[in-house]
Amino acid sequence: MKVSLRQGVGWSLFAAGCLSVIVQLWTFNRIERENAWIAKLLSGHDIAIEKVIGAQPEVRLARAIYLRQMHRYDEALATLNLIIDQGGTELQMKTRYNLGNLYLAQAVEQTESMNFNEALPLAGLAKQAYRQALVLDSGFWDAKYNLEVAMRLLPEMNRINIGDDDPESKKSKLWTTVPGFPRGLP
Amino acid sequence: MNNDERSAWECILRLTLLLGVLISGCSGSLEQSVSRFEFLTPKPFGYVIGDEIAHRIVIDTRSGIELNGNTLPKQGELNRWLTVNRVEHSQSKTGQGMRHVVDIRYQVFYAPLEVKMLAIPGFSVTFNQRGQAIEQAVPSWHFTISPLRELAVRKDDAGEYMRPDAPPARLSNRETVSRLYASLLIVVLSALYLAYLYGYLPGLTRRGIFKRAQRQLARLPERDIASALSVVHHALNTLNRNPLFQHKLDEFYRNQPDYRKLADELNAFFEVSNRYFFAGYGDIGRDDFGKIERLCRLCREVERGGR
Repeated sequence: MKVSLRQGVGWSLFAAGCLSVIVQLWTFNRIERENAWIAKLLSGHDIAIEKVIGAQPEVRLARAIYLRQMHRYDEALATLNLIIDQGGTELQMKTRYNLGNLYLAQAVEQTESMNFNEALPLAGLAKQAYRQALVLDSGFWDAKYNLEVAMRLLPEMNRINIGDDDPESKKSKLWTTVPGFPRGLP
Repeated sequence: MNNDERSAWECILRLTLLLGVLISGCSGSLEQSVSRFEFLTPKPFGYVIGDEIAHRIVIDTRSGIELNGNTLPKQGELNRWLTVNRVEHSQSKTGQGMRHVVDIRYQVFYAPLEVKMLAIPGFSVTFNQRGQAIEQAVPSWHFTISPLRELAVRKDDAGEYMRPDAPPARLSNRETVSRLYASLLIVVLSALYLAYLYGYLPGLTRRGIFKRAQRQLARLPERDIASALSVVHHALNTLNRNPLFQHKLDEFYRNQPDYRKLADELNAFFEVSNRYFFAGYGDIGRDDFGKIERLCRLCREVERGGR
């Protein structure tokens, strides 16, 4: 049987439509599956590492949260570093904020153990990560709060007086303080 | 000192004075060059760590004066607690001069223990006029910043209180669902189109004229030429919406151009019909029934869009 041009066009459209339906159904299924993984990780249950490898960066971000909760800091750090530049602005902001939380939690632990040499660089890294998150979204209140926590943990002495903010004093006054929270008023 | 020496000194003094007057006349003063300077700032209180502060500087100058962009603050860290996030300079013509608008967005990263006054440092904007530099000072700007947390240490079960991790947003499937609906629409429309082409749409009976004729021919006893001719005539009349005769075939082809490719077969059909019905040749040939069937099949193919 001969097939006319119109029939050819009709069949081509039909085939393309069917193919697209299959692809969209597969994508829909993948999204639902990954949402289920995110929910599982956030509820405190791990998922197989093979599932995370090909998944969206949001799944890795959720796994980094899980790993930090489990105090598996090195794995959480490696996971966050993998997705630091992935996704849109919101995801990048959250990645940097969570990275700051990861450093800050370790800095606090080290400070409590009186390991100031270890705490100092961690607090500095935490501040840097929070600042990066706030550059992406200056209305991110959690990042503001935790940056202030990090600043209190590691105060910058030359910030006290406005006159000390010239670049020369900036270079000469690194690590002039001991980390720790001011006890404040009763 | 004699008279000649005195006159020479006077001459030198006069020339020096004249030169001074000429130089001061050539140089553009700030008052002449800048006709308007406006420094637009937001409220100077109520800031916390991480807030952005937007400043706008509007300067009207004479034409022919160019702003030196290098004298504006550079993007990046200005000092430990102050960052310049964005600097935008635009200029437009206003009357006889130029209007320069500079937008600067600062971000403050200062963690005070109590409400504290800070200052965004001032700077000088330089304009170039025929190789000479004219400066316009932008004053420093004072504001107060407040702490977000109390001075006393606040602890929870995990130690020092800090805000928890930010969970990822649920992955959106909205776009996928939209694309799925669009794909389904394409499938349905293309299926309807194919059904139309193949004559399977019950509402569009004109696509099934020769399909029905084929069925009727199949039911006829062989050699019943009269009935076979009637069936095909009826189908052609239905398609033409009027009785179709051989001499009206050209008009038929104009209305149904797809059937022009069957011109030979249709002519042959009408000749057979004329001979059978009007010339009285009852026995017109053994394979004429087959030819009528073939014509009907070809018409059916045209009807389905296959030819």
